[in-house]
Amino acid sequence: MVNIETIFQVLGTIPDPEMPISITDLGLIEDVHIEDTTIQVIVLPTFIGCFALPVIAKEIEQKLLLLNGISSVEVNFINDPPWSTDRISEAGKASLAEHGISVPEGSSPCCTSENSNDVELRTSAVPCPWCQSRETTLTSPFGPTRCKSIYFCKACRQPFERMKKV
Amino acid sequence: MSELEQQFHAPMIQVLLCVADDKLFLGHRNSDWTGIAPILEADIAFSSLAQDDIAHASAFYELMSSITGQDPDQIAFSRQENEYRCADIVTKSDQFNWASAIARQFYCNVYDYLRLQRLSNATWTPLAYLSKRICAEQAIHLDHVTSWIEHLGNGTDDSKIRIQLALDEYSPFASMLSESPEGIETLFEGGILIDEGCLFTAWKEQVKRIANKAGLTVSVEPCSGVGGRNGKHDEDFTRSLSELQEVFLTDPAAAW
Repeated sequence: MVNIETIFQVLGTIPDPEMPISITDLGLIEDVHIEDTTIQVIVLPTFIGCFALPVIAKEIEQKLLLLNGISSVEVNFINDPPWSTDRISEAGKASLAEHGISVPEGSSPCCTSENSNDVELRTSAVPCPWCQSRETTLTSPFGPTRCKSIYFCKACRQPFERMKKV
Repeated sequence: MSELEQQFHAPMIQVLLCVADDKLFLGHRNSDWTGIAPILEADIAFSSLAQDDIAHASAFYELMSSITGQDPDQIAFSRQENEYRCADIVTKSDQFNWASAIARQFYCNVYDYLRLQRLSNATWTPLAYLSKRICAEQAIHLDHVTSWIEHLGNGTDDSKIRIQLALDEYSPFASMLSESPEGIETLFEGGILIDEGCLFTAWKEQVKRIANKAGLTVSVEPCSGVGGRNGKHDEDFTRSLSELQEVFLTDPAAAW
């Protein structure tokens, strides 16, 4: 008999297609339901319309269909609650930091009423994931994927990526 | 409330189309810069802005589809000209003048951000959640275009003259943003959307504040008469639409 823990274990083996982190550590999974031989997975999209979403959905379906006695898998995306960077687990943050990707702290601007005050802007002091120095500058608010910006650390002279605070 | 009563369907569709059509066409125009923007970061930025805007448009078409049951791609690409609801500033070609691209982006971004903030307060929750989520992404766009306005306004004499000219050149088109979606009063009266006063006035204050800080001026008056929000478009729109539809119309039933 398949239970929720087994399903989460399987989901934990699925990597994000664009970053060195599993989809569970990234905080994408909001809920899982089992009914008879059907599994329903509720997923929160990171960025609205991110191209990785269909890839993730397909991967979830394929992996869960391998479980004993499961005949169908449904993946549903919802926007409530909105996904935000504070859903990333500590293990996930550590794995991202090892690859030079930093994650903003604090609650997401889309979960509070004052959007503009909490958004990380070009003037914000951001720590370097390599050396922790705050002597960093924003190179480009737009990076290799829709969810990341590019920074440069003046202390260790390394570029790094940072997830946009949403 | 997650269900929208039947009587609010028609005006809500108008509101959703205004947002989605603005974003679809602006994204399309911004994608013109992919590969040829003045510096690499600007190239990445404009390509990302385009990608974001088109993704946001798609999310709004999907929300509309939850009301009408139509296919979102069909809504986006297969309407008649007079069924599109964008303000035509989004379809104005910048003639590959960087200052014009920034001026258009500036006017449209400030407007989009303020509009999404208001839609975040909708009592129809699917709209509120989506708007709130997109608003956080939009804040980054606004910050970026503001940095370009400051950069050009406080840069050299040449950059200042060019961005000022572009802001002036786009003012008549920016005035098109003053037109409201048809029937929006019904949504205010029904408590679906919150009437927070004139959006155009709030927009004007904000663009003036940012421009003035960079030593620039903005002078825009509300437009008179009927325009894009009511389906009356000009030749730039027609050209943009035929570009957008070119691939889609080769096989409208194809799966993407």
